[in-house]
This record gives sequence, C-alpha cells and structure tokens, in this order.
Amino acid sequence: MLFNSFDFILFLPIVFVLYWFLFYKKLKIQNLFLLLSSYFFYGFWDWRFLFLILGSTIVDFFVGQAIHSSPTRRKKKSWLRISILFNIALLGFFKYYNFFIDSWIDLVSIFGYQLQSTWTLKIILPVGISFYTFQTMSYSLDIYHKKISPTKDFISFATFVSFFPQLVAGPIERASNLLPQILNKRTFTYDQAVNGLKLILWGFFKKLVIADSLAPIVDDIFDGYIHHSPTTLIMGVFFFAFQIYGDFSGYSDIAIGTAKLFGIELSTNFKFPYFSRNIADFWRRWHISLSIWFRDYLYIPLGGSRASTLVSIRNVFIIFLVSGFWHGANWTFIVWGAIHALLFLPLLLTKNNRNHLHTNIAQNTLLPTIKEFVQVLTTFCLVTLSWIFFRAASLSHAWNYLKAIFINNQHQSYAHPSGYRMIDYFVIIIFFIVYEYCIRKDERKPFNFKNKFVRFLIYCALLLAILLFYDDQTDRSFIYFQF
Amino acid sequence: MKKLFLKSILYSFLFLLSLEVLVRIFHLAKDNPTRHLDEYKVEKWQPNQQGFSVTGNRKQNFAEYRINQSGYNSYREFLPTKDKIEIAIVGDSFIEGFHQDYYNSIGKKIEKNLSKTEVYEYGYAGYDMADQLHLIHQYERQFDLIDHVVISLTYASDLTRNTYEVVQDRLALESPLNRLFKKSKLLVYSKSIGVFDPLKKLITRLKNFVQFKSQNETKNPNQISTPKNDMNIIYLNNFKNLVTTYGYDKNRFTLLLDARTTSPMFLSFLEENNYSYIDYSQAFEASNHPTSLIYDQHWNDHGREIIAYQISKYLKEKIN
Repeated sequence: MLFNSFDFILFLPIVFVLYWFLFYKKLKIQNLFLLLSSYFFYGFWDWRFLFLILGSTIVDFFVGQAIHSSPTRRKKKSWLRISILFNIALLGFFKYYNFFIDSWIDLVSIFGYQLQSTWTLKIILPVGISFYTFQTMSYSLDIYHKKISPTKDFISFATFVSFFPQLVAGPIERASNLLPQILNKRTFTYDQAVNGLKLILWGFFKKLVIADSLAPIVDDIFDGYIHHSPTTLIMGVFFFAFQIYGDFSGYSDIAIGTAKLFGIELSTNFKFPYFSRNIADFWRRWHISLSIWFRDYLYIPLGGSRASTLVSIRNVFIIFLVSGFWHGANWTFIVWGAIHALLFLPLLLTKNNRNHLHTNIAQNTLLPTIKEFVQVLTTFCLVTLSWIFFRAASLSHAWNYLKAIFINNQHQSYAHPSGYRMIDYFVIIIFFIVYEYCIRKDERKPFNFKNKFVRFLIYCALLLAILLFYDDQTDRSFIYFQF
Repeated sequence: MKKLFLKSILYSFLFLLSLEVLVRIFHLAKDNPTRHLDEYKVEKWQPNQQGFSVTGNRKQNFAEYRINQSGYNSYREFLPTKDKIEIAIVGDSFIEGFHQDYYNSIGKKIEKNLSKTEVYEYGYAGYDMADQLHLIHQYERQFDLIDHVVISLTYASDLTRNTYEVVQDRLALESPLNRLFKKSKLLVYSKSIGVFDPLKKLITRLKNFVQFKSQNETKNPNQISTPKNDMNIIYLNNFKNLVTTYGYDKNRFTLLLDARTTSPMFLSFLEENNYSYIDYSQAFEASNHPTSLIYDQHWNDHGREIIAYQISKYLKEKIN
C-alpha cells in the first residue's frame, strides 16, 4: 500500500481509531492489532511477500534468544552467523541473484567464453526487503554486542520488524530505539499527534509536488538524452537531485509522522542534506539510518578511521561500495558509491571528515557566509553529478549521458512532455529551497512559526501546491521501494 | 483525543474554505455552462451564457466562451438570410471549440479567409451523426437559408447509432446534485485533475469483487467484441439509416473527416454515392508543428488554422 494512495487514506484513520479506542486497554492486543495491520499493509502488494518477512522475523527472534543464552562467545558467534547468513541469503537471492549470474557471464565473455543466461530467474523483488532484513540483523548484532537483551514477546518483536510506517522504506530502526516503545504502553498525546500530522503534510508536499511533478521530466530527459541540449541534460540531473530528495525524505516524513500518530518516535532519516558543507556532512544528513547502520556494524568493526591510513582508506571504500550495492543490483550503484568514496577521501586524509558535526549553515545568523555558500554549492554540485550514475539504467547510459553534457550540439529549449510550463518547476524548487533554509534548524518541525495565521497560510499554500501539481498520470510509487 | 478530532474537523473546514477561495481567485476551475433540451428535443447549451473553459493543472489552457442565443459557442448570432452567404459547421467538441477563445474560433478563421461570409458553428461536445442530422432536420427552416453545411464526422465514434434519441447520461449532468457539485469550484477543479479517480477505481474494484462470481458465470453480451469488418458494416448501415430518416442535401452538405481514421469501405461508399467530403488528414500529416493540444486530444490553434484553411479552400472552389 502506498502512502500516497487512496487505500492508505482509508486505512490510516481506521487503524488509528481502532488502535486508540478499541485495542487501547491491553498492550498485547494493541500490539497484535498493530502487527496484523502492518501485515495487511504489506500484503496489499503481494500476500506471498508475507512469508519472507515472517521467516526473517522467526529466525531472528529465536537466534536472538540463542545468542543471549549461549554460554560461550564462540557459540554466540555461530548463532549470529546464522542470522546474518539467513538475511544475506534472502537479500542475495531476491535482490542480487540475477546480477551475479549476469556479471559472471559478462566476466567470462571477456575471456572469450560465451555463456547463455539460462541461470537467471524471473524473481520479483519483495518490497522493502533491504530495509527489514537490515532491521532484523541489527537486532541480533545488538544482542551479540550486549547492547540489548532479547525479548520473549514474539508479537512485539514481529511488530518491531513489520511496523507499517517504516516497513518498506525506513528509517531502518534499531531495536534499542523501537522495541522498547513497542514493549511499553503508549499514551496518546495531542502534541505528538499534531506534530505527526504536520510531518505527514510536509512529506506529502515533498512527494506529490516536488518528486512526482519532476519525475516525468527526469524520465523524459534521461530516456532521450541524445536529443537534448547540454543545458537540458544538466537540468535533468538537477531535477533528479530534487526528485529523489523529495521522494525519499517525503516518505520518511510521512513514516515518522504516521508513527507519531501511534505514539511511536522513529529515528531521523534526513537533515536537509543539500545544505551540507562537504561530503562527510552530506552523509550525516542523507539516509541517516542507513549511514549509521553501516557505521556501527561495518565501518567501526573494520577499524573505522582510527586504523592506519591505508586501512582507513580501505574501510572508506568498503563502506561506500557496500552502501552503493545495497541500493540495487546494478554496477551503476557501485560506481555511485565509489564516487562518494573518492569525494570523501580528501576529507579523511586531511582529517576534515568530522567538521561541522553539530552545526548547521548560518547557525547563528540569518544568511550563510560566502565560505559556507561556496561549500554548500560545491557539495551540491558534486552530489548532483554523482546522481547521474544513480539514476542511469546502466553504466554505459550514465557515461553517455555525462558525455552528452559536453558534446551534444542541440540548442532547442526543452518542452515538458505533457505541455506544462517549465518555469513552474523552477519556481517551486526555488520556493522549496528557500523554505527549507528557513526551517533548517529542526527537521522535525517544518512549521515551527509562532504566529498561528502564518502557519495556517503555509498549510493552505502547501495544499494549493498539491492541487496545482497533482498529476494522476504519474507513476506515484516511491523510488526507494525498489531498494 | 477529543481535542484532536474537534480541531481536525475545524481545520479541515477552514482548509476547504480557503482552497475554494484560492481556486476562485486564480480561476483554476472551468465554468460549466448549463445544458438544455429545447422544444425540438435538441440538446444544446442554455442560451446567453458566458464564462471560461480551463483545461489541465495550473490553467494550461484558458479560453473564454460565449453561448449565443441559439445555444452554441460563437461570437456571432445565427441569423441566416437569403441575401448573405452563410456557412454552418456542425460537429462535436472540436467544432464547439471551448479550447480557444470564442473570438478566435474556426468559424472566425474561415470568415477571415472568405470575405462577406458568416460562419455559424453548431458545435456541442458529444454530438454524433445522429445528433447532428437531427439538429439540421429540426431546424430545417434555418438550415435551408444557409448556403453550405459542413458536418464533422469522427468515424470511430459518430456512427454508433442509427436513430436519434436524447442522451440521458449527458443530461443527467444537469441533475440537482450535479448542479450543487458544480457550485464548488474546488470540487470541479479536483475532479478535472483526477483527484477523485482513485475513489472511483476503488468503487469499481469493490463492485467487481462483489460481482466476480456472477460475471464469471455469465458473460456480459456487451463485452463480446465485434469484428472490425462487422463494425464497418454496422457504421455504414447506421449512416444510411440516419440519412434516410433525417434527410441529407448532397448539394449543400459536406462531411469533414480524417481519412486516416475512416474506413476505406465507408470512403468508397461516399465517393460512389456522391457524398462530398473534406479530408484534412494530408494537411495534418504535412504539418511541421503539432496539430493538437499536448494534454488534450483537441486541435490546438495551429490545427484549427489548418481546418479553417481546408474548409475555406474547399468552399472557395465550390462557390467559384
């Protein structure tokens, strides 16, 4: 079920009312109801996917207990391996199987062997598999590292794994944050619910107005890049930068806002990433839950940046390449990760990777300094350039697109595939950037203005923008669902 | 919780009210002229209305219309006499031209090409051949004074009936409930951009779910597809029947059609039986610019220029 579907608009209030009125008294029943609602939400795509999530839940539930009760470290490690192998196997089969087969065929063809792709299978990628497998793995890892104790309440654990607001595209929750909230009784608070509704509105604006309206233009430009002028191609990737940000952060906002309606606080996933002052700062603001996951379970165990220079460089490449690969079974994502690793490297070597840890641009002033402005602009341009690889269908597509920016001879101005005025999109992006700048200090409170009338005007403007940019012809699924 | 519900209701009301005001201020929604069934059972617009037609999100196409005393969108009144040269164009929404300012219509363009000629556009969205011939038949006196009548024909949709009957579905749009609905510009705009489509789809899905068994057991006879050749024969017979029932003056009447989308069998029939027609397909194909609106199938200004030129050229030849 998509957040931006009519089904969800019906689903959410029904679940909300039943959750707080009918199943409020007994926590176990309330959790069971939340679990069934989440399974209904997930099964709406394809009920067969439910078996996978249930399998992952069962394995990690029992493995978690086994790790905890195992007397020796060796045994604990063996159980942990089972959890990791099971989840990686799920991911490997459903997400990467065909990629590995095709890559193997490509590799041997270099040496003159021609193999036919008879081993590839028609596998449907289960929605959100990368998210919930990582979530369940983190549970076992945290038990192994003695950060948490396992729960004996299967229903609560299954609810933690499948909690519908963040099930299919995150934030990837850590058991230490979400599980205690599920295990303990939640109370309804007016402020939390109102903040949730505000975040949902802001998320819908990002998704419907920014992401969905730019999607047809981006698709059109990337598909027919040969026929467009260099300026148009730059515009295409610039629009994609906002499309993917609007799409993914919009989803996260709706997820966090929806969870608040149920008395649950999810982790932050985005902190105005396009106001980052360098690549390291960008990765502390973009898909934060994934960055932290890789930092805690991969980068630090490998030695992080405290090891020798060579090992640190190796670690940076590992984490960025794996992070890229996590996004999809395509070389484009791996190259995208490699580009970010290369951009990160100078910061690591000059020990500037931990700059700007807890500050925003223009922290105590109205406007940024020229230095900050140049830093933000440079980071944005580099990130946007890397998006070409993220968006392209293949490496050759990305490379040709990049080449076309420099060699294409076309000069005609771009016309929207459905005939809309192009100026509208620039205007809405500029408004969006300016507004995000105004609220840059707290991503959880997008309408933090004291004056009620101003707030009301902003709500109306956002709703009007949704009406103005709503397009029923657009494919409205979220980009990150495919990951 | 009570506070949340009460405030949600209050805010929802205030939002709807504000959006209604904003939609009106920016004139995002189209004005809906009132439909009307006259004493001859001819469906047309209620005479003497004026407003704006809006298409697409963000006013992609914005045009003014003016319904004249005869109930059609035109800058002029239809007052044919024996002394002047008058041309009537009868057709559907393409001729009605809500997608253009009424003072820049196909008729106006033809008048620029043919001096001392008045062009009357009898266009109404949804008209098919039965509607058109019935209109001409009912207003025989008026049409007898008109020198040339051009009848627009969209082959795929205009010959599905062999006799005229009032289209109740169209008139149902004037039901009290629909009239009430049309009073809210916010609702009109939301409907036009497809906001309610998911709701409609859900209702259809539910209906299908309920009727699933019965549909499986008995196949709906309407769903049985008719072979293309049979359709052509049916369309031809419908045309013959309509012409016989309502009359057709071959000397004055000319069909306006696109040969690319018209059956060769039907075209042969027209040629063999001396039904004259204007085919604009070649002119459209030769055009270097798009001839229809991008977000709508209707002709754009360039397309309308071509149509006007084709009609003018044909009539010039005929008059001379």
